[in-house]
Amino acid sequence: MEYNFQWAKMFSGEPAQWMWEGFNTTLQISAIALVGAMLLGIFICLMRMTPFKPLQWFALAYTEFFRNTPLLVQIFFWYNASHFVIPEGINEWMNDLYYWFPGPFAAFGHDFVGEWVLFNVELITGVIALTVYTSAFIAEEIRAGIFSIPKNQLEASRAVGLSFLQGYRYVILPQALRIVIPPLISQALNLIKNSSLCMVIGVTEMMFQATQIESYHAIPFEAFSVALMIYLAISLVVSFCITMYNKHFMIQVMY
Amino acid sequence: MKRLVIILALVLSFMFAASIASAGKIEDVKAKGVLTCGVKDSVNLFGFIDADSKELVGFDIDICKYIASKLGVKTEFKVVTSKNRIPMLVQGSVDMVAATMTHKFSRDEQIDFSITYFMDGQKILVKKGSGIASAADLANKKVGTVKGSTSEKNIKNAQPKAHVISYDEYPQAFMALKQGKVKAVTTDSGILAGLKAGDDNPDKWEIAGEFIASEPYGLGLPQNDSAFRDFVNKCLNEMWLDGTYQKLFKKWMGYDLPEGWTIELWPM
Repeated sequence: MEYNFQWAKMFSGEPAQWMWEGFNTTLQISAIALVGAMLLGIFICLMRMTPFKPLQWFALAYTEFFRNTPLLVQIFFWYNASHFVIPEGINEWMNDLYYWFPGPFAAFGHDFVGEWVLFNVELITGVIALTVYTSAFIAEEIRAGIFSIPKNQLEASRAVGLSFLQGYRYVILPQALRIVIPPLISQALNLIKNSSLCMVIGVTEMMFQATQIESYHAIPFEAFSVALMIYLAISLVVSFCITMYNKHFMIQVMY
Repeated sequence: MKRLVIILALVLSFMFAASIASAGKIEDVKAKGVLTCGVKDSVNLFGFIDADSKELVGFDIDICKYIASKLGVKTEFKVVTSKNRIPMLVQGSVDMVAATMTHKFSRDEQIDFSITYFMDGQKILVKKGSGIASAADLANKKVGTVKGSTSEKNIKNAQPKAHVISYDEYPQAFMALKQGKVKAVTTDSGILAGLKAGDDNPDKWEIAGEFIASEPYGLGLPQNDSAFRDFVNKCLNEMWLDGTYQKLFKKWMGYDLPEGWTIELWPM
């Protein structure tokens, strides 16, 4: 079975434009979801460590539920099942949301494809699903990091007079977060790859665009290999940046 | 050295044997004893799962069964979506595609089509009383459709200001319509009629507007296999001449064929 490679067709006209839009949307989803997941993960982890039992149980239920269900199911849950839970007015407002926002490449001037990024309910629910899913994993990893710090750190912070939150903010978390950077890199890469699942609710990110190019232009190999290369490039850049940051700010090696 | 020569001879003979085995599709199907057809499983009236018998039934499925009976083989059905029906045919996973596929010249570059076996057109499905009466009313509104279908491209041409959201399958797009996430669903009117009829309260929805584009359905066939394509065209003609087509149409669509429309009839 022979196959003519049509790279010229892939890198010009509609396929190139679609792929670039998809790349922008993937970056947008991943960036927002990553920041959100980190913050939410730290918050849930702190809830888990409080001495107040109901908060602990809530954090435990949250983590176990969102870690053990598939992300695809969660995306459909937020997109379709949320219709029955959210009040009518908010639903209508959200469904009509179609807002263009200046994107990261806005500096390149007008008429540059990808200058504007789109916010609609599909994207928002995709980002929420990704954030919640990844935050459950991040909470568990930060908890593992906290357990690796000797208990006398917390006791010493209490002795000095810091409250629970202050103790965590100034003493424990800076140490714990530095330790768990490698697993956090893994979770960040997972999030970037999981963002491709948002295509089932109609978010026009990179995998969606690759399948569109396959349907309309009949160049599946070129489309999917370009998508593969872009995901690889994004992942390598992200892990490189975080590792450099880690090396720069590492205060002491604990082993 | 002698062993190397023997191994080389075996490898070359396997290569030649593999290349000789590219006979036509008809011989392949008769040898296998099974005609593998790609069909839809969630399009009411054309290819769907019957609620009582839990089997795949529909207009497309009955056409495949007729052609297989003419070949003297059994049928095997594989479920396809609008997105993967052409790749599956090109790869050879299915022998024929009967999945509400519109015959387009751009698709002719990858596969071949039979003569048109069903004439349809694209319309929109909206909630009754929503005030949307045609594609022009869809400016700045969200429209649902299915990935990889002609409807997706046509609605973008007909109304560039519409916001098109593409889902995986028609039931998903219809659920989005029910939840208000899109204001209209656009695809072939036969499929829309099936969606509307399959709902709990069909009177809540209406099929609105003029035909946005015409959608002649053709059976998808492997590229460059004239013998198979001629055979399928002949089967479709025979189906029309012996009355089976009219019976199947009435059975699934519920109304008689529109006056004056015939499939392309060629003398024997």
